[in-house]
Amino acid sequence: MNVRSQISMVFHLDKCIGCHTCSIACKNVWTDRRGTEYMWWNNVETKPGTGYPTKWEDQEKYRGGWEKQDDRLRLKSTTKFRTVTDIFHNPSGASMDDYYEPWTYKYADLFNAPEGSDQPTAMPISMVTGEYINVEAGPNWDDDLGGSPVYAANDPNLEGLTEVQRQQLFAIERLVFFYFPRICNHCLNPGCVAACPSGALYKRGEDGIVLIDQKRCRGWRACVAACPYKKTFYNWSTGKSEKCILCFPRVETGQAPACFHSCVGRIRYLGVLLYDADRIEDVARSEDAGLIDAHRSMILNPHDPAVVEAARQNGIHDAVIQSAQQSPVYKFVKEWKIALPPHIEFRTLPMLFYVPPMSPVMASSEEGMVKSVSDDFFHDIEQARVPLQFLGNLFGAGHQAKVVYALKKQKAIRTYRRALTVGDISMDVARRMLTEADCSPEEAEAIYNLTSLCTFDDRFVIPPAHREEAIEMMLDPHEHRASTGFGFVDAPKRGL
Amino acid sequence: MRRASRSAPNILRRVVYVAAVVLATAHARAQEAADYFRQNCLSCHTIGGGRLSGPDLKNVSSRKDRAWLVKFMLDPKGMIETGDPYAAELLRDARGTVMPLVAGMSRQRAESLLDLIDAESLLDKSQFVGITISDRPFTQRDIDLGKEIFVGTTSLTNAGPSCISCHTVPGLGGFGGGTLAPDLTTVFERYEGRKTLATWLSAPATPTMQSVYKSKPLDPDEVLAMVAYFQHTLQRNPEDASTARLNFVLIGLGGAVLLLGLFDVFWNKRFRAVRRPLIHASKLEKTHE
Repeated sequence: MNVRSQISMVFHLDKCIGCHTCSIACKNVWTDRRGTEYMWWNNVETKPGTGYPTKWEDQEKYRGGWEKQDDRLRLKSTTKFRTVTDIFHNPSGASMDDYYEPWTYKYADLFNAPEGSDQPTAMPISMVTGEYINVEAGPNWDDDLGGSPVYAANDPNLEGLTEVQRQQLFAIERLVFFYFPRICNHCLNPGCVAACPSGALYKRGEDGIVLIDQKRCRGWRACVAACPYKKTFYNWSTGKSEKCILCFPRVETGQAPACFHSCVGRIRYLGVLLYDADRIEDVARSEDAGLIDAHRSMILNPHDPAVVEAARQNGIHDAVIQSAQQSPVYKFVKEWKIALPPHIEFRTLPMLFYVPPMSPVMASSEEGMVKSVSDDFFHDIEQARVPLQFLGNLFGAGHQAKVVYALKKQKAIRTYRRALTVGDISMDVARRMLTEADCSPEEAEAIYNLTSLCTFDDRFVIPPAHREEAIEMMLDPHEHRASTGFGFVDAPKRGL
Repeated sequence: MRRASRSAPNILRRVVYVAAVVLATAHARAQEAADYFRQNCLSCHTIGGGRLSGPDLKNVSSRKDRAWLVKFMLDPKGMIETGDPYAAELLRDARGTVMPLVAGMSRQRAESLLDLIDAESLLDKSQFVGITISDRPFTQRDIDLGKEIFVGTTSLTNAGPSCISCHTVPGLGGFGGGTLAPDLTTVFERYEGRKTLATWLSAPATPTMQSVYKSKPLDPDEVLAMVAYFQHTLQRNPEDASTARLNFVLIGLGGAVLLLGLFDVFWNKRFRAVRRPLIHASKLEKTHE
């Protein structure tokens, strides 16, 4: 048992309101520099939809992630031989057009235009070339376009849906969409790290954050092609690649990452998971159907004395182990089993988990009128507006069972709370539903509390980084005593 | 008295010594001039051997005064450009070949060369009458050997590099020879035939050729074979050159197309645009409806 610690995340999609505050917070902190205008380390997608970059989930095109070949894992985007032949141009790399060309407006024209009979306008100009452009794509171009025949209809997750299901999805009274916020998953088996010819990417030992060393990166863009979630980006100005850093400077000082901190719907949870690093390859090689269980099984119980002992021997600080014991992520993923990894069939073993969203109450059509209220308090999960196969493709490697389990438990808890607080549902029914959903009343209360009444400290259990100890491994503080004041050991250099 | 008897042999000794030094120096200078002449002048000039690409230099001092000659030797091209009538006449005689600037030429050296030419002119047979070259008619064997030497399949006896490294002639096949140095197709004509070309090849005078072949000269048989080959290349159809050029372009174009085709196969699974085709397809669908 090789115990490691990882800062992991849960996004509770049932709470996401699609306000993009997280994206803006991230943009303002990290990617408002030249060359990064088109990057959105955090973005919010509307599902069904094609997302950002367009149809990123279609690995036939983007060739990200791993595939199993003769019981071995290999990257889809490249091989050792191909790394050499493709070194100057990555054939799996998307062009900026598949993200979007960033633009601004020529506001100066509003003030400088000569007097005339027309109102002056601010024309859109490209932030890359500075030329006038026709804006035809953006990072959330299909925002709220759930029924769009262009974007929603081309969502790769619609695969396996029957023709009837597809048609219903686009019928006006059944139109539905939900939001899918995405950041780097800080995977256990990251494709980006494996693909880098320069060895510039690494997964931090102490907390599993995946980073790109800006000094070693040579801009080959192999990571951009290899990441199936398309969460590494090429900075055309510095000639280096960049990605979400999970705001490690904030995390190290005990603050939640910017997107977590600013989340209006409070959908985000952050905490430590302990896992068995010896099993990574085995788990990543599992059959599709068993991937989620295998992934879960390598996450270790931080209360188990044997695990704690092994963790200590691996140099994990007691404070981190304590933090893991209080981790909300552990509860969602392992205890309650209602948070699921996105597209685990890409086999990078993502460490960001999603609680699948409950669909809006079923609407039906009666004599040509849309009836938007169900007779029941809540519809059957199988009758959800978002087809289960769609959610299964997104969160269950193509299988519905895990998604159904998570949704049924959520529904049971809603019914239980309704019975408790309003009382128009009998408690017997509620308790029966809880039992059917594999949930005890205590667990239901705990989930309810962490979902609805959670405080800042409940959601973000950030382990102490012990930077003061880490720095002693490289530098002797006594050497610098009284010789330095306010300032930096290394002057901060970022961008151009 | 004692002093006088002692000084007389001393003076004699000194005189002999000075005379010996002067003679030795003069001899050394003459030898140096002769070497220089052999290396730099002999490829175009003889002394009493008749005209090559440059005039026979026997009694050159009687044709023009020394100051003029020195001036010409220092800058032949400049002299012609000044419109000097005698220089123009020389140019006519040489059928437009301008004497090159000779490496290491100086006023002092020109003087010593002229001294050398004057001295040699007095002899019955100068050491610089030029090489004797066989008059026998060239055989196919000579031409073949010449070609082998040119392309390097037969090495030169003194290990000089083969011509193809820098020069080309038509009919070599493949991509032809080098383009670093002049095309030698018509070199036989430009060097006015067998004797001149053979002499030139025996001791090439241009700075580049000299630096390469000075220590590795061609032997007389090889010279003859090369001359035979260059006479042969002269007879070739002049259209060959243009077909070769066309072939070069066609091979280039064909190669480029083939290479692009191979690239397309090798990178067949490369990423092609996603967003634009998606929008385009949906627009097409709309117009169909």
